[in-house]
Amino acid sequence: MLDAFIQLFELQNILFLVLGTALGIVVGAIPGLTASMLIALTLPLTFHMDPVSAVTLLIGEYVGGISGGLITAILLRMPGTPASIVTTFDGYPMAQQNKAERALALGIMASVVGGIISWFFLAGMSPALAEFALQFGPWEYFALVVMALVMLAVLAQGSLAKGLLAAALGMAFAIPGIDSSIGQARLTFGNSALLTGFGLLPVLIGAFAISQVIRDACAPQMTQKVPVPQKRLPIFGSDVKTHGLNMIRSSVIGTWIGLLPGIGANIAALVSYSTAKQVSNEPEKFGKGHEPGVVAGEAANNASIGGALIPLITMGIPGSVTEAILIGALTIHNLQPGPLLFQNAPEVAYGIIAAYLVANVIMLLMMWGAVKYIAQVVRIPRSALLSVVLVFCVVGSYAVNSNFTDVWVMVAFGIIGLGLEAARVPLGPFVIGFVLSPIAEEQLRASLMMTDGDVTEILSRPYALLFLILAVLTVAWPAVVARLKPARKEEMK
Amino acid sequence: MSQSQTQREAIGDLICCALVLIGSLILFIGASSLPPPRFEPLGSAAMPRILGFLLVVLSAVVALQAVAKLRQPKTPTVDIEATPNSPYRGLIVLAALIVYVFALDVLQLPFLIATTLFVTVTGTAMHRFAARSIVIHGALGLIIAVLISTVFSRFLGIEIG
Repeated sequence: MLDAFIQLFELQNILFLVLGTALGIVVGAIPGLTASMLIALTLPLTFHMDPVSAVTLLIGEYVGGISGGLITAILLRMPGTPASIVTTFDGYPMAQQNKAERALALGIMASVVGGIISWFFLAGMSPALAEFALQFGPWEYFALVVMALVMLAVLAQGSLAKGLLAAALGMAFAIPGIDSSIGQARLTFGNSALLTGFGLLPVLIGAFAISQVIRDACAPQMTQKVPVPQKRLPIFGSDVKTHGLNMIRSSVIGTWIGLLPGIGANIAALVSYSTAKQVSNEPEKFGKGHEPGVVAGEAANNASIGGALIPLITMGIPGSVTEAILIGALTIHNLQPGPLLFQNAPEVAYGIIAAYLVANVIMLLMMWGAVKYIAQVVRIPRSALLSVVLVFCVVGSYAVNSNFTDVWVMVAFGIIGLGLEAARVPLGPFVIGFVLSPIAEEQLRASLMMTDGDVTEILSRPYALLFLILAVLTVAWPAVVARLKPARKEEMK
Repeated sequence: MSQSQTQREAIGDLICCALVLIGSLILFIGASSLPPPRFEPLGSAAMPRILGFLLVVLSAVVALQAVAKLRQPKTPTVDIEATPNSPYRGLIVLAALIVYVFALDVLQLPFLIATTLFVTVTGTAMHRFAARSIVIHGALGLIIAVLISTVFSRFLGIEIG
């Protein structure tokens, strides 16, 4: 770990981390642009960088992207990222009561504390969990992927059937190309351009960035007048006593919710906010500019990043689209996230952990010193931003292999993404299904080879069985709750 | 949610299901041309078949839910147009994107010219059609194009287009 920190503080790496965090904060502060979009767009550039520099840049963007959202959430009641929606509940009323500086100060502090607490979980659990995951065989991996996909599909907004449909559809799009097991073309229909399959980057950029830009283009264009914070950001020693417990509780909640696939930073913030309200002596003050509301949401959403990085680096399981893109970043450098990452590329595995901590500190310094300037980015016309983002989408897709096939694939997946969104089919399970499909197939084929085609073997493996049971319970849970509700109502009557 | 919106969504779901069914048909056709397994029990065609089957089942479930929504008795409601969104702007931007990629790939238009024109068209479409807007977005497009092509050609060795 110490080596990772030493490596991180090499000039090139620390510069990338600062650049990534700064870009993330700015993009995070702009409503409509998200951290995942920024990471997807910068991913092609990292192709030419060494893996450690690449992950430091992307981790900086991730941390900055989630944190930057609080600025516009507090000043304009427009969350820069979905993760900051909860911050609008109390942050904006505080700004209206001329306490914008205080809300920003608390939000920034809570974000940093959330990040640091979840770092302890990340640094403490990851190596041990990776060591443990080394015991997993193909059956366990297959069951783990199935569980992650099912959880993502079930927890995605909208209907269960549509969540599962999205995951299956994403998996289907990963099939065309050369089947690596037998070295034969599959579902290419004689088209040589399909032999390499659909590239991860064009799919990610198309499904997320393009569809989001087109949706934003449809929205009315408004120029925002930003109420710039005038005074120093006030933070006091007594805040440790007043908000310390709330920060720790929300950070722990955020980390554990981040660990579960598919839930995300916005739900983590919402759960922490509800918990803070429930345990408060003054629950009626929440939503009217109450400081603990800002603290709970911001500590949790930042902490969820650390939580989400744990299954990513220890088992190669992405919890959200952003982690799926980070998997893409590792795979384009021929690195396979999972337990072997700690053995094959410890500088990258520990580099991610070290970068996450330092990115939080950099975020604190930047946001504390420059929040009033960062807030001004909202004044840049959306038309200019979105046009430039589209150019970056095209250039980014082209840059991976220097060919336009990838760009056309990106455009096609942009249209598919728009269509899915229009039909309210969630994009998260679609993209993660696309990422996890090859792993699921590879592990299933390896498992069946080991057991000579005997599927029942999975039932004799405790961890694999546990993952499958969890997957079944996740699917069945909403139906069970729906059945129990009328029964409870009857009892109450 | 108004009655007409629910119906629109249900019809959208049915269209989506039809497209997914076509997709699963493609999976089955593709899988049928693959050789049977030789060295391993599962074989190359299994995954497309499994996913094709799952897609058929899930789209049937979604279609049934959509039909149930359509069959709900109609209640008189008032449509509230709360969102002044303009789908035409999105369509213009999407069309401009396709033309931009076509111009770079097929017409081999230089990156600087294509990008300047693209940013001008999309920026103006999203902002408003006025001389000032055209000039500002045109200048922005030119600056971005010069910056990107310089960075890509000088530092990454990539010539775009």
